[in-house]
Amino acid sequence: MNNLILLTIDALRKDVLGCYGDKGGLTPFIDSIQDRSVRFTKAQSIGPYTQASFPGILTSSYYLEYVMQEREQELLSYRRTLVSEVLQRQGIATAAFHSNAYLWDCFGWNRGWNTFYDASDEEVDDKAPYTKARELNKKVHLWLSSHVASGTDRPFFLWLHYMDIHEPYVPERTYIDMVDPSIDLNEDAIFKLFEDAVLKRDASDRGVVELLKKLYCSHVREVDDAVREFFGTLEELDILNSTVIVITSDHGDEFGEHGGLSHDGKMYSELIDIPLIIFEPSRKGPEVCDKLVSNIDIPPTIVRLFGLQPVERFKGRSLLPPEEYPVKGCYGEALDIEASQKMEETKEVHYYREEDLKIIFREADNSWELYDLETDPGESNNLIDTSPAAEAMRGKLMPRIGRSRRNGS
Amino acid sequence: MDHEGIGAPIDGKGDGDMVDEKRERELAGKIEKAKEIFKQAFERFSPEETRLIWSGGKDSTLVLWICRQFCGENNLALPGSFTIDEGDSFEEIDEFLKRYSREWNVGLDWGRNEDVLKASNYTLGADVHMKDLNERNRAELKRIGFDQEKFPFEAESYAGNHLMKTVVFNAYLEQNTVRAVFQGIRWDEHPARKNDQYSEEIGAAELVPAHARYRPILHFTERDIWDTTHHYKIPFCSLYEQGYRSLGVKTTSLKAADIPAWEQDLENTSERGGRRQDKEKAMQRLRKLGYM
Repeated sequence: MNNLILLTIDALRKDVLGCYGDKGGLTPFIDSIQDRSVRFTKAQSIGPYTQASFPGILTSSYYLEYVMQEREQELLSYRRTLVSEVLQRQGIATAAFHSNAYLWDCFGWNRGWNTFYDASDEEVDDKAPYTKARELNKKVHLWLSSHVASGTDRPFFLWLHYMDIHEPYVPERTYIDMVDPSIDLNEDAIFKLFEDAVLKRDASDRGVVELLKKLYCSHVREVDDAVREFFGTLEELDILNSTVIVITSDHGDEFGEHGGLSHDGKMYSELIDIPLIIFEPSRKGPEVCDKLVSNIDIPPTIVRLFGLQPVERFKGRSLLPPEEYPVKGCYGEALDIEASQKMEETKEVHYYREEDLKIIFREADNSWELYDLETDPGESNNLIDTSPAAEAMRGKLMPRIGRSRRNGS
Repeated sequence: MDHEGIGAPIDGKGDGDMVDEKRERELAGKIEKAKEIFKQAFERFSPEETRLIWSGGKDSTLVLWICRQFCGENNLALPGSFTIDEGDSFEEIDEFLKRYSREWNVGLDWGRNEDVLKASNYTLGADVHMKDLNERNRAELKRIGFDQEKFPFEAESYAGNHLMKTVVFNAYLEQNTVRAVFQGIRWDEHPARKNDQYSEEIGAAELVPAHARYRPILHFTERDIWDTTHHYKIPFCSLYEQGYRSLGVKTTSLKAADIPAWEQDLENTSERGGRRQDKEKAMQRLRKLGYM
């Protein structure tokens, strides 16, 4: 391998991809590269929204460790090491292309990149308040072309992040038609759904929620085309065969599964289960890994793929080779945004998963939930008072509760 | 621009054409007002008992420049100056300070919290453990209610800010029996400054020696600073020409734009803002994405 690309797709649920079992045909291109990929079936995000998840994806550290100081200073802590910083020090060309405002340079995410494009100077439309994947592809094309044209043998690390699936869910007509041509709403009417339901987190009308999910799926179909286009660029520049590509999302999105919409601080599967696919051009045949893994493992994997020494600060483990990955539990943590606003003090929410058991703690109401995901994938049957495993699972989370207030310890 | 790229008087650019006669009188009046503050200070304290706090930024450099004039006109010795090195400074600033302390023949003391720097292994972001700190630093942290085992070495963290700036400042006053300092604070630089007075008495407290603070250029706006600097060919650090509006520690100071500070829209944008304005824009963007 020479190069590595990390392609993250904001708010992409695992269960809408064909290769993860969906029958809607939303991701024909991503499904088509499975024969040269390792697909992780039980990948977990360490957090249910961008700020809680990206510390794992780019710095292999948990969100709450330094969150208080970061919120105070509105700046990523220097105690987190970005994988770009590690690679840049080794002479690898690093570039980032994204348009998620939580990850802008003013918040400190620009460390370690030779090129950092965060689209902060672009004007955006209310109905698509980000730079569209196709536009980002053009910018990346330029960067890749000049990297190739320079004749350098320097490997590169590229991080590309698509925002298009994220609400307000106003997709192009072409893609709506691919999902459900009977949807007879113009852009303004669609945008009004966002204002009236999503913004108010009002999931009470089942019809509206189903409609929103279809609009979301239309964006998924659209992003699959953007991924196809991007792979086309790599082929055109003749670098596809020398590039490993990690495809994942930062978290999922809720459509009423647990009474809400969007992604504010719940720890259920619709937000925590993420797709994680590693495309390796030299691979012959598909591979599936059923081990429980986490997106905190992504930076160590990148470092290993470049043949570098493990980074001491990184909390995760390399995902490759899958047979060396240990059997272990996964943690996730976040601030409970809704409750923290209502109660005017920060409230944490945590989960821990071991095999198919998952425990969730919400500080706002001091509640514990335990689910057996094998028999209850929808997480509706709380076993906390009946399961013999409850105490041991609780014991795993206890030491982590309150850690946002312990000042980086 | 000076060939070393450090920043120096600008020839033919900026003066005269930017400042007409009326504006010149206005600026002269503001300088006179500043001199009145020096006069008040030197009626109470001898120059040896005072120090100029000189960061190398545009404001404190102007304070020094006015002070030199005042002392020359009144046959007074020039006070020494003091700068705080937080372990994260711009080289351009350090060079500027060294060069003009020599050229202007002004004494310059550098203060740094060597104990903290050593405990951090001189590495930004590294953990500083309480047990590695000396008694004074531990007492200082206790005084501000910091009770953790460790903190990250960052000048702008809660503990770091206190140890790297406040403690260094207080220790310097104490060791050199300084009774008054001159600061380059301005009313318009930050809303929090709007009630500041031209002078303030700081009473003695635990680990804080009693001293007076004089702020001779409180009434200068950012525009006044640049017009004065250009008109009187006062030197300034080259970073301002690159677009920095306000210089702090290196890792948290950002360029506001890629044009010289004085060519930016000083009246309608925030001086400390490279960062702040971007963040406000980010918040707007996030609201559009449905985040409250």
